[in-house]
Amino acid sequence: MNKRILIKIITLLMVFTFAGAVMAQPDGNKRKGKHLYRQTYKKCHGEDAVPVSPDSKTQAQWIRVFEKKQWDVFGCEETWNKMSEEDLNDILTYLHGHAFDSPSPAKCK
Amino acid sequence: MSKITNMPVTRRNFLKWTGAASAAAAAGSHAPVLRALAPAKKTGQAKNVELKYSVCDMCLNKCGLIARVEDGIVKKLDPNQKFLKSRGMLCARGNAGIQQLYDPDRLKYPLLRTGKRGEGKWKRISWQEALDYAAEKLNGIAEKYSRCGVLFTPGSDLQSTFVHRFAEVFGSYNVCTHESSCLLSRNRAYLDTFGEVPSADVLYTRYIIVSGANPFEAIVTPDSIDLMTAKKSGCKLIVLDPRYTKTAALADEWYAVKPGTDMAFFLALANVITNEKLYDQKFAKDRISGVDELTEHVKQYTPEWASGECDIPADDIRRIARELAKAAPASMVYPGRRTSDYVNSTQIRRAMAIVNALLGNWDRPGGLTAARKVNLKAVQLPEAPFYDDNPDDRIDAGKANMLFEEEGSFKHMRDGIIAQEPYPLKGWFVYKYNPLQSVANRNKTLEMIDKLEFIVTVDITMSDTAWMSDLVLPAPSYLERLDPASALQGSSACACVVTRDPVVPEMFESKPVFWILKELANRMELGEYFDFDIESYRKEQLSNMPDAPGALEKDGVYYNPGKLYGAYEGKVFRTRSKQIEVYNSRYNDMGVNPMPVYTPPNEVPENRFRMVLGRNAYFTHCTSRNNSLLNELMPENAVWINPASASKLGIKEGDMVDVKSRVGKTSLKATLKKGIRKDTVYMSSGFGVLSKGLSNLAGKGGAMSEILEDFADTLSGNMAMHETFVSISRSAS
Repeated sequence: MNKRILIKIITLLMVFTFAGAVMAQPDGNKRKGKHLYRQTYKKCHGEDAVPVSPDSKTQAQWIRVFEKKQWDVFGCEETWNKMSEEDLNDILTYLHGHAFDSPSPAKCK
Repeated sequence: MSKITNMPVTRRNFLKWTGAASAAAAAGSHAPVLRALAPAKKTGQAKNVELKYSVCDMCLNKCGLIARVEDGIVKKLDPNQKFLKSRGMLCARGNAGIQQLYDPDRLKYPLLRTGKRGEGKWKRISWQEALDYAAEKLNGIAEKYSRCGVLFTPGSDLQSTFVHRFAEVFGSYNVCTHESSCLLSRNRAYLDTFGEVPSADVLYTRYIIVSGANPFEAIVTPDSIDLMTAKKSGCKLIVLDPRYTKTAALADEWYAVKPGTDMAFFLALANVITNEKLYDQKFAKDRISGVDELTEHVKQYTPEWASGECDIPADDIRRIARELAKAAPASMVYPGRRTSDYVNSTQIRRAMAIVNALLGNWDRPGGLTAARKVNLKAVQLPEAPFYDDNPDDRIDAGKANMLFEEEGSFKHMRDGIIAQEPYPLKGWFVYKYNPLQSVANRNKTLEMIDKLEFIVTVDITMSDTAWMSDLVLPAPSYLERLDPASALQGSSACACVVTRDPVVPEMFESKPVFWILKELANRMELGEYFDFDIESYRKEQLSNMPDAPGALEKDGVYYNPGKLYGAYEGKVFRTRSKQIEVYNSRYNDMGVNPMPVYTPPNEVPENRFRMVLGRNAYFTHCTSRNNSLLNELMPENAVWINPASASKLGIKEGDMVDVKSRVGKTSLKATLKKGIRKDTVYMSSGFGVLSKGLSNLAGKGGAMSEILEDFADTLSGNMAMHETFVSISRSAS
């Protein structure tokens, strides 16, 4: 293979890989996402239900759940299938921000 | 000796202190104070003696205690010997808690400001009027600006969780806690290295380096007590401090480190440990990510180089590194507590955390231990509403690379409020928080106050912040309160649960902040979100621990059995790599140095000094200086200055001096101390108060907050309070 073509292919691959990584970072409204997530979960499982904790998965795992629409994680798949892309992005932003390997907050205790 | 026994308090004097004529109307409710302050009768025994468990609130350690109540008066506070976190002890400060309860300066009823802010003109009003007024003002700000137009600042308190809850329900993201003046950069550093903030297993350590901490005066339980016990067992203590503290006095070796250069010392330790392969290589291979990068990175930081930066001899650095590694894994760099010192304080603590990682001391006796599961249940409350018309984020969002959402940064928050950017913020709800004393640059806090339309403060006494408020609401002391359950971590001592029940009824017209918030919620159509009481809340918290209520009643504390050492066996770390990250890839992605890179601190200009802070054993932050039992030990503060430096300035012991920085000036006495570097000065905080409601403090000493310039750690937003240079001169008579 011509060296120039090889460089172009590698460059393109790098661009797509980088773009993919950037796109994968959720950028919605985390506060709205938290509200929507907890509301949706409780609507499905009842007011006393404790929603699946954001720190039950890593950031990469949450991204995969949303990319592959693995709504069985939450139950009530129909509800999740009907949600808008914007709402899903908000929820993912919240879950991603509090994931197992996120820079999670700590308190003075 | 206490003033109580020396100076009998007459009813006339007491009423004078408590606000003259208006107090007479409620004199009946003052009876317990009058009786408690009166000299003990020589004859006759108390008819009714009760012993009641409680939990101290004189500092943040929450030590168990037993209150002796005679005929309704608390006569003595004793340690709860079953409370292992304090190793069955209660310190002198804890004993002085009785005076917080019976302090004549306590706030007694709601006060509405009638003069200008800070003028000290108040009108006594009823709770009904006070709550109606507060609800009207908070609602007005929410309507006119936004719900984020109100700042909430809860202090460190068992009921502060309800202030967070109220802020969420009300709809403000702007919550700022005491922590951004304290330990956020330490937490940031350890979270970003180990994935969690550890406890230090001081009791079983054989070699400990204490840098930027003073555990024999700034008491942390069980660490302070354990360090003394460990020393008796042969543990070697190395202290780095520009000042000869009590911890330095009891150390095996004390180094008067040049302030702000600790990172150089720790990077040099890492240099020796990696260069000489003194670390546990199997542990490093299995559990640490980035050892090769670190080894390469620290090659530049030799002991000889570090010696020129931190004023510690190279041979000592090399020897200490070898001794530390030899004692591993039962050796440590003590993580410390308050780390609000430099603009790179997170990276300084990262350097310390990295040395701990190399020692392989994680999860092992004498090293750093993870938090044990206590099993306290998170109470499920009705979902807070979401307000679509709110701004997207906090005022201080984006001002630090890795801000803690629930803690914020007071420095950045204040700057945002002064600029009223990115949106207007006009209201402030304060609970047991006093930034006019505890936070750098008091004049800027006053400038922030000028921008606000409404300030309400809930506190026990008239703090400086209460003094500048529009509405002041009296809170009960911890001995009068019913509080939710709290989980405590105490390394090898315990992981436990404590609760607090009233030892005596609420005095005067004081009301707990929970009641105040519930009443406000009811007035603001938010009552459904506060439709619970503390009893039911606490019951729910303890519902996963069937033995807890009985143990709490019987022993005043509940211990949840759990594994302390080896808790991480078979588990991954809560980091990106699932290992301990001496190289932090997230930092790298953010454009932050993934490993600490040394930058020398600014040089002290000629004829000036670097001001450093530090605690003493008598006081907690700025909260207990007016306590008459403690105030006797230090009625006013003085600035520490080296005799050689003082001599050049013509300053003698006890002279009044002016301490000036670029932002303010304060006057206090000088005290000459050989045990402080010539380029450094120190003073205790909490004096030089604005408030006229603190009898023991009015007109005494100088205010640290007046002269400190406001810097912040770039990563966490933690205040950086060792970056100020001051000049000192004798006061003009």
